[in-house]
Amino acid sequence: MTRHIHIVKVHHLTLSFPTRKDPNPKPVLDDVDFGIRDGEILGLIGNSGSGKTMTSLAIAGLLPEAASISSGQIKFAGEDLLAMTPKQRRAMLGKDIGMIFQEPSTALDPLMTVGKHLDEVLTAHMESPVSPEDRHKKIVEMLETVGFTDADEISSRYPHQLSGGQRQRVLIAGAALLKPRLLICDEPTSSLDTVTTVSILALLKELCHKFRMTILFISHDLSAVRGFCDRVMVMRDGKIVDKDTTSDILNNPKNSFTAELLTNARLDTHILGLKPAAVDYSKSPVLKAENISAGYGKSLFDFSKRKRSAEKPDDYILHDVSLEIFPDEILGLIGGSGSGKTTLIRSILGLLSHTGTVNIKSSSIGVIFQDPVSCLNPAHTIKWHMFEALKASRKAGAIKSSLTGAARKAEDLKLITAMLEKCGLGAEHLMRRPNELSGGQRQRVAIAMCHIQEPALIIADEPFSSLDASSSAELLKLMTDINRERHTSFLLITHNIHIVRQVCPRVIVMNDGRICEEGLTSEVLNAPQSECTFALLEAERLIHG
Amino acid sequence: MQSKARYLAGKIIELLLTLLVVSWLVFAAFSIIPGDTARVMLGPNASEAQVELLREEMGLNRPLLSRYGSWLLGLITFNPGTSYAYNVGVGELMAQRLPVTIGMSVIAMIMVILVSYPLAIISARKPGKLGDQICSVIGHILFAIPPYVASLLLILLAGSVFSLATVGNYVKPSEDFFGYVGCLLLPSFAIALPKIAMSFKFLRSSIIEQRTSDYVRTSKSHGLSDMKILIRHVLPNSNVSSITIISIILSDILGGSLIVEQVFNLPGLGRLLLSAISRRDFPLLSGIVFYLAFITVLLYFISDIAASLADPRIRLK
Repeated sequence: MTRHIHIVKVHHLTLSFPTRKDPNPKPVLDDVDFGIRDGEILGLIGNSGSGKTMTSLAIAGLLPEAASISSGQIKFAGEDLLAMTPKQRRAMLGKDIGMIFQEPSTALDPLMTVGKHLDEVLTAHMESPVSPEDRHKKIVEMLETVGFTDADEISSRYPHQLSGGQRQRVLIAGAALLKPRLLICDEPTSSLDTVTTVSILALLKELCHKFRMTILFISHDLSAVRGFCDRVMVMRDGKIVDKDTTSDILNNPKNSFTAELLTNARLDTHILGLKPAAVDYSKSPVLKAENISAGYGKSLFDFSKRKRSAEKPDDYILHDVSLEIFPDEILGLIGGSGSGKTTLIRSILGLLSHTGTVNIKSSSIGVIFQDPVSCLNPAHTIKWHMFEALKASRKAGAIKSSLTGAARKAEDLKLITAMLEKCGLGAEHLMRRPNELSGGQRQRVAIAMCHIQEPALIIADEPFSSLDASSSAELLKLMTDINRERHTSFLLITHNIHIVRQVCPRVIVMNDGRICEEGLTSEVLNAPQSECTFALLEAERLIHG
Repeated sequence: MQSKARYLAGKIIELLLTLLVVSWLVFAAFSIIPGDTARVMLGPNASEAQVELLREEMGLNRPLLSRYGSWLLGLITFNPGTSYAYNVGVGELMAQRLPVTIGMSVIAMIMVILVSYPLAIISARKPGKLGDQICSVIGHILFAIPPYVASLLLILLAGSVFSLATVGNYVKPSEDFFGYVGCLLLPSFAIALPKIAMSFKFLRSSIIEQRTSDYVRTSKSHGLSDMKILIRHVLPNSNVSSITIISIILSDILGGSLIVEQVFNLPGLGRLLLSAISRRDFPLLSGIVFYLAFITVLLYFISDIAASLADPRIRLK
């Protein structure tokens, strides 16, 4: 095997999605030109829609059918990829080029065991027949390499029996099984919590050395490349605007866009103007929840089990959780995946039966959920969504109006438009449907829908996790603005400790269904008393430096 | 393993409870229906005393619960009374007719699967393209034709245009198995046509949905060919949701065959049912209705078990 300086060389690649109506649309990739050096870890950074994923798919040969490459060349180890047949290119995948994707929860076939998934990789590239025992031995070996201690057992499990981090390890095992020379990682950690992210990145680095692999690491999080990538490229609108060594990009950016990305990633409170309201802790709390315990898995007809679990609180996910949220406060709630954060808010909202009491000093609570894609009804316009929210709050009696008929409708429309404008959207978005908006815009609609009901408290469950750094920063600014101007309290659930540090005066740390630490953010995060806070901070430090 | 056994046990209890409820409903329905069986049998000229005697003889004067008990016992032993009209055991009568109805349903189901799967796979390959559109249009037309109209058209085609002689002649499977299958082919096809369209439409959208899923992308990145991905990932996953639809289609086919038998003059359950209705033959009628319901419930039971075998996530619930 000859070794080249550049394992992949992309020459002036231009790619677009022509349609019959528009044969010459704006290119998605515009004259992209770069090389990936053999053995390096190259980071590819940019906001959503900047063309990062398209670049990786073009290298892998998995572009959507509608995509058309109008000019350029892609070379892999000196061979022209675009001159190959689709069949030849497919045969390279898994063997020469491995890939890992963003969402490990859906990336495995739910009907197939882990072992069968990995076995497929082996059988697809087998030149001479290998006995099932040898294949199994190889699979178990690989599973051990990616960090499973009980590899034999894991290989017989189905994807739904694994955690997110474990699934991502299985996917890495599949991609690295045949020791490909290039591993493309498309946002492999963006849906994982901080602790898991650190371990996955460490694993990738280890594999890179062990198998002498080259890695193309795609991320929207500039801080995630620190300590992981050797070089970083920055993409914007289908162009590569900056490329340099990681330390130069992070510490000494020469390009203004890179600098902007850095500011957004660091959430610099002064530059972004994040000013949360001052909190008066002597006032009575907006929400007071006491001794909440709750669990899942009780079906309507399962009387016997329900009785048993009432006697045996071990089945519960939440154990005796109490919390208070004060007026004007942005309370941070952090903890690893599975620590019970989402179960807690489901209990507070009354979506889950629980023991203990919840007192709310408000007619309504607003909620923003993690996934802005599935939270809005795809069949209806933004206007419809806003009217629904308004109607709901009228029913609850939160907002009263003396007007009737057409006058009231005009009044409502004005109110809705004003609300959308306040949330950074315009009247032109009224008639759009959710799929015509970006992720950040959809979260804004979710906030506007909450805000129009004028709740005293908005619960935000991981609102940033699917957004890129710029959208996150803008959304956070909007939240602090609402907090300051409307005196709305927030319960902010996030795995991004950096955000908590910037905007939350008080923080609660959860672990294993219990609150393990709470107090002023500066005290908890600077002098952690409990082990779980310490672990979260350590993971944060490793990633963000 | 334990979860599997528990799931199965739960499903069997569910099945038995459903059947019990079905038996109540059927029995209650035939008890409520107005009309005196004894009077119908003896005709308007019989005296009141004669009618009363017959009632006593047939056990119609016994309390409701005791009549239900003996009827239920009869159902379990496949002997729910004697037909008034034929004076033959209901079980025996049904056993004679069952091969026609079941045979037709099975053949129709095989046709549905054999035709709709390949069409759906071809159609889903390039959604929106010419091939897909042609398939969709044909599907819509087929879907709009009710089985009895399709039967007439097919009889016309087979009888007059191609001069095939099998129309209307029933051959018993014990005499000539291939003749039996042959005489059921046309009626089965008439029932299958709209179901082919239904199953095709469902499978097509299910395959299109699976083809764009994340795990298919993963399999592509593992270097699997499109064919392997289709067979190993796309079809098994779309089957999970298809199993339920297929069980619904199968029970629909059973109902459809009752009608088509009339058109093709086949001695199946449908004709027996019709004659039982016109003669107020309650033992026969309630027996047929219950056993048809039994077959339907059993089909759903089997489809639940099949779905749990196909999808490991269902077992775990």
